[in-house]
Amino acid sequence: MSVAAAQSSTQSSYARIPAAFRLQFAVPSSLVWVPLMVFAGAWAIATGIAAWLTFQTEATFTAAEPFYAGASQAAMWCLLFMAAYTASHTFPFSMALSYSRRVFVIGAFLAFAVVSAAYGIAFMFGIWVERITDGFGMHAYTFDLPFLVQGEGGILGAGLLAAVVNLMLMMIGFFWSILYRRVSVPMLWTIILVLAVVTLAGATLINQADGWGSIWEWFSRQTTLSLAGWTALWTAILAVLNYVVIRKAVPTP
Amino acid sequence: MSQTAPGTAIEVRGVTRRYRSTTALDGVTVDFAENMIHGLLGRNGAGKTSLMSVITGQDWPTEGEVRIFGQRPHENEQILPRICFVREEQRYIDDSLPKHAFAAASRAFPNWDWDLADRLTEDFRVPKKTRIKKMSRGQRSAVGVIIGLASRTEITFFDEPYTGLDAVARQLFYDRLLEDYAEHPRTIVLSSHLIDEIAHLVENVVVIDRGKILLHEPVEQLRDRAVTLVGRQEAVAEIAGSREVLHQEQMGRITRTTVLGALTQAEVQRVRELDLDLVPVSLQQLIVRLTTRQAASGDPDAATAGTHTDPQEVTR
Repeated sequence: MSVAAAQSSTQSSYARIPAAFRLQFAVPSSLVWVPLMVFAGAWAIATGIAAWLTFQTEATFTAAEPFYAGASQAAMWCLLFMAAYTASHTFPFSMALSYSRRVFVIGAFLAFAVVSAAYGIAFMFGIWVERITDGFGMHAYTFDLPFLVQGEGGILGAGLLAAVVNLMLMMIGFFWSILYRRVSVPMLWTIILVLAVVTLAGATLINQADGWGSIWEWFSRQTTLSLAGWTALWTAILAVLNYVVIRKAVPTP
Repeated sequence: MSQTAPGTAIEVRGVTRRYRSTTALDGVTVDFAENMIHGLLGRNGAGKTSLMSVITGQDWPTEGEVRIFGQRPHENEQILPRICFVREEQRYIDDSLPKHAFAAASRAFPNWDWDLADRLTEDFRVPKKTRIKKMSRGQRSAVGVIIGLASRTEITFFDEPYTGLDAVARQLFYDRLLEDYAEHPRTIVLSSHLIDEIAHLVENVVVIDRGKILLHEPVEQLRDRAVTLVGRQEAVAEIAGSREVLHQEQMGRITRTTVLGALTQAEVQRVRELDLDLVPVSLQQLIVRLTTRQAASGDPDAATAGTHTDPQEVTR
């Protein structure tokens, strides 16, 4: 029997989205095991440093003066690079599997969203563990950070903000990687330089207008929930931008 | 919706693809018939991969139009799952093992055949526990070939599939391709710059050079376009007559001459009387001669000039 005769007739143009989603997890190390390892590893190292300081030196941390670590971000930066790999490696492979760019992008971004949600949940788990153990009995905190949890959103707000920031970082990683595929290297650097000039010009204008005070004030007025909202807006803009860039990207080596 | 002639799988009309400073495809118009093995032949950089990229929607034409089963392939999920094109230098997901790539392919292609994929993995001796990026070039080619065959898509492209494969693996590929094609007829496009390697496989030949189609003909017809006469010099000269000589070798009094144009029945009779040998021309030799002649004359019709298409007149 000829292959054509066996082939199914018309199907929905979005029928392969679940397959494109699973494609992102085809090699489970990239979006699951390695970030998880980094998450647990960074937490263990930060807590280990606190333990070392507590037991080997004179330092003692108290409820009034606890030890705060910045290791909670580690998994986010790892996922930024993993998202860049999605554009540089998974995208060309998805073309060999004959996915349309649209279906690939929807599958990839859904996968990013699920991974980000998992990160948010893991973040909340970290807060919970540190809270019930009083920072492992040493007042050492990696996740239960006051500026994140002492607002109206509480632990949930912190988890939500972590998830949305993570998703935005993944979109940024994907953006630069796909842009590198799409444009030439001189063009890529031109874009970077233009962005740098625009940022500098913005900073200069704020300086001249003496505007930093009001900007910090604006930030201090935000809660984790409102910040998550603003970040989500930027993430959505980046997602659309990514689709525009990938639409004309070619998977040549 | 469908405007393609029946039996035509791929229709390419006036396709030009320009990159910054180069023109990869230059006004290409060509059809690929359904359920046939096509050879897409040409030198390195001739435009083979560009043409396949545009046909499969991985790239798009600057001008012109491509239709597959009557529809545009670009971003078309009705058409794309029916096509498979693994590039010569295909990138895989970072750190992937063959099983990861095959599992992903099985979810992408509705006709995927696991039994075939497993059998081919054994046949090609693809190491199961080696990451694809760490594999030798031949092993990587084999992974691409397995995806192409086991996907069993209606149209499958193989881009220089033998790259890095040893002689045994190449033969295995040709054997398995023909076996599976006999059981599941489909449209296959094999790109190659080694013409004689795939000459026995292909039923139809498309020759591309500098982004232009030089030749597009069924193999049988092409083979009959020239003959090689071997024998005494004056006898060969008598039969060759005013025919164009494509190639000539002299060995003492014996000459070996390849001429363009088929022989008439009377001429075949005369060949026997003169005790000459008639040798079929290798496809590679024929294409090289025809295309270099055309390139030299700059006339796109030169490659097809001197054709005798009347089957009664054609002999070997």
